[in-house]
Amino acid sequence: MSTINYANSMLHSELADAVGKEFVSSNAADQLGHSIDYYWIPELWHDRGFDNPKPQFIVHPATAQEVAKVMKIANKYKIPVTPWGGGSGSQGGALPMYGGIILDTKRMNKVLHVDTDSLTVTVETGINTQHLEWAIEKKGFSTMHFPASIACATLGGFLAHRGTGVLSTKYGKIEDMVMSVEVVTPTGEIINTLPVPRHASGPDLTMLYLGSEGTLGVITKVTLKIHPIPESRKFHAFLFKNMHEAMTAGANIMRSRLRACVIRLYDEPETEHLIKRVLGIDKKGAYLVFGFDGNEKMVDLEMEAACELCRRQDHEDLGTEMGQSWWDNRYKFFYPPFMFHMPQAFGTLDTVADFAHIENVYWAMKNTVNENFPEARFIGHFSHWYEWGCMLYARFIVEEPPHDPEEATLYYNKIWDMAIRAAIREGGVINEHHGVGLKLGRLMPELYGPAFNILESIKTSMDPNNIMNPGKMGFRC
Amino acid sequence: MKIDEFQETIHACRFCFMCRHLSAVGNVTFRESDTPRGRALIAGKMQQSMDTLEQDYIDAIFKSEISASCRFHCVSHFDEAGLVIAAREDIVAAGKAPEPVKVVAEQLKNVSFSVEGSGDTLYYVDSYSDKKSAPAGCKTISGGDTGRALQVLGYTADSEAVFAQFANAVKSSGCVKLVTSCPASFYFLKENLNGVEVMHASAFLSSKKGSGEVYYLESDYLKNYCAEFVSPAESLTKLGYSLKPFGTNPEESYTAGEGAVVYDRLYPEVAEKMCKHISELADNPTSDVLVTASPYTKAVLNKYAPELTVKLLDEILVKGL
Repeated sequence: MSTINYANSMLHSELADAVGKEFVSSNAADQLGHSIDYYWIPELWHDRGFDNPKPQFIVHPATAQEVAKVMKIANKYKIPVTPWGGGSGSQGGALPMYGGIILDTKRMNKVLHVDTDSLTVTVETGINTQHLEWAIEKKGFSTMHFPASIACATLGGFLAHRGTGVLSTKYGKIEDMVMSVEVVTPTGEIINTLPVPRHASGPDLTMLYLGSEGTLGVITKVTLKIHPIPESRKFHAFLFKNMHEAMTAGANIMRSRLRACVIRLYDEPETEHLIKRVLGIDKKGAYLVFGFDGNEKMVDLEMEAACELCRRQDHEDLGTEMGQSWWDNRYKFFYPPFMFHMPQAFGTLDTVADFAHIENVYWAMKNTVNENFPEARFIGHFSHWYEWGCMLYARFIVEEPPHDPEEATLYYNKIWDMAIRAAIREGGVINEHHGVGLKLGRLMPELYGPAFNILESIKTSMDPNNIMNPGKMGFRC
Repeated sequence: MKIDEFQETIHACRFCFMCRHLSAVGNVTFRESDTPRGRALIAGKMQQSMDTLEQDYIDAIFKSEISASCRFHCVSHFDEAGLVIAAREDIVAAGKAPEPVKVVAEQLKNVSFSVEGSGDTLYYVDSYSDKKSAPAGCKTISGGDTGRALQVLGYTADSEAVFAQFANAVKSSGCVKLVTSCPASFYFLKENLNGVEVMHASAFLSSKKGSGEVYYLESDYLKNYCAEFVSPAESLTKLGYSLKPFGTNPEESYTAGEGAVVYDRLYPEVAEKMCKHISELADNPTSDVLVTASPYTKAVLNKYAPELTVKLLDEILVKGL
């Protein structure tokens, strides 16, 4: 037995002591599954017959205490720990780039308490988000968190990279839904943030962890807001002459402070391509859909007011049926073969900006991609709307990227670098809900400027041995 | 390779996570390899090289419960269950089946079908049922699995040989109607048995009116493979039973491995976990009445979740609650 194997066996034993023998694995099939997430690069490498970086061990702790034990072992031996929920992140955030331990959270999947006075649920973060929603619906409530990845991702994944569901315009992003969290720190302490999110007892520690992508600890428990299931939810769609007309209409709805639960605007190329393919609406222009939910009388009043605002622009009224059709098929876009797939290269240039800048961001990215990569298609829609602006879900698609994986990776990164820098120049922020991960880490110092030093200092202070998800979010490897 | 016939499915499923929440095995083992995505990634590795295929990959392929919930859920209905069976065929053909699988396959090949009793209708008694459960006035046929179990294990030729013996025994019986309560056999015989009308017991039994609240556990085969032929839930409702939805959703498999026909014989520890999961999802585990159309599901739930009251659909239809 070599020294390395001997050391591995000893480590395996220690991890088994921490979480139970059955829940430590060096199984090749599991290592394969944990070497690929939803990021295009590992998919490419697998497609080309190469192996991606794999973890040495996969552990499935059942409690925060077991997570803490794993952290202490990892600190003792200075071994990387990469938290993994559903593995469906698109940024490479859960990839074990430096081997070590994958800390798979899925065994922590219990709904612990539903508080029907405060309308909150306390739940372990390894729960599949669709399972959580089903469990809450059975009790007559909803989380109102309906991302396209609801069936794929764990709740912890959404917390770790600030995920967003389709009803975010009314119910908020995941960080708006959180009351408090329990976190196991990189050094193995178990802490809780304050029980309510509105206070003046210092800076908001909860928010420090939301979006930290497993670099500052493992979120093991969360208390979330829940909502009554609304009496009514209705949709309406319009087709506008162009994206600018549609954007004006959407922004007017937000500026009027009507409380739409969703607004989604597709640019002309995406309307012509995806809206036709998925919804069967074969029209030229920019498709805009929006919805309201709640008390039916209020819904009808708000819907009429929103439609009135839309009619001020150059429009075709598609009515309620073509709005409802979008809602009914809202996840269909992400199933094969509707989703982009190999051999295509594709990426979501997820960017957010205020209304004063968002169209400039769109055009800057589109022009950058079109001028520098004429072989690429650029499409986009605007998904999540706020009082002040919205999120651009821009995508590029290349039908035949280079075959050689190294060449393809360089090519792919170049598109990202140029498009994202164009967005930042125009006042955009990368990004709204996919996270940073491996994909965008190198651009974080440019995005933040000198403020990135503060983030780095926090990371160094909290994780002195740099064991937590090293190499992600632009932090040191 | 057989899996090459599922190229589109491999490409669609290997990078897709959209049905992982319905992976009955993955939901209790928490392993990435126990999901449709995990298995499709392995199929890709099989295409690259069978010679160097890791034993862990092979085990993951055989550990699937083949419920087909993923195919039912998928908007494009990619057949991951078919892919898994094809992968097993390739593994068996390469002589790389895991030892426990070989042992069970040998047992399944050892059939001796016999027909007993009198009547115009033949009732097939599967290995999880008792001859006593046969309706009065029927001949019975028993003596082994019909061939579906070997088929799902990837032993295609042996499955065909066993099925040929079964078909001969059926022919010798002189019956033109065959009834079974086993959903896997119903599906398999409906697909393969010519010249004989194949019925599920729930559609054959003369049912008596009943009342009371029951939770119906959907059968994987009847829901995901044969929904156009039989709807036990509808039958129960028509008879007057009040059906309460089991669990939190109608999409998950609550059969503890019915799709794989003999799952508990290969992976009893996983079957036990799936049974415990079903028990956890019950509203009132010690007082609810759960009804299943699957003798397999009833048998494993009785074994691994004895706190549950589980009744076979046939029993309810004939005797009431």
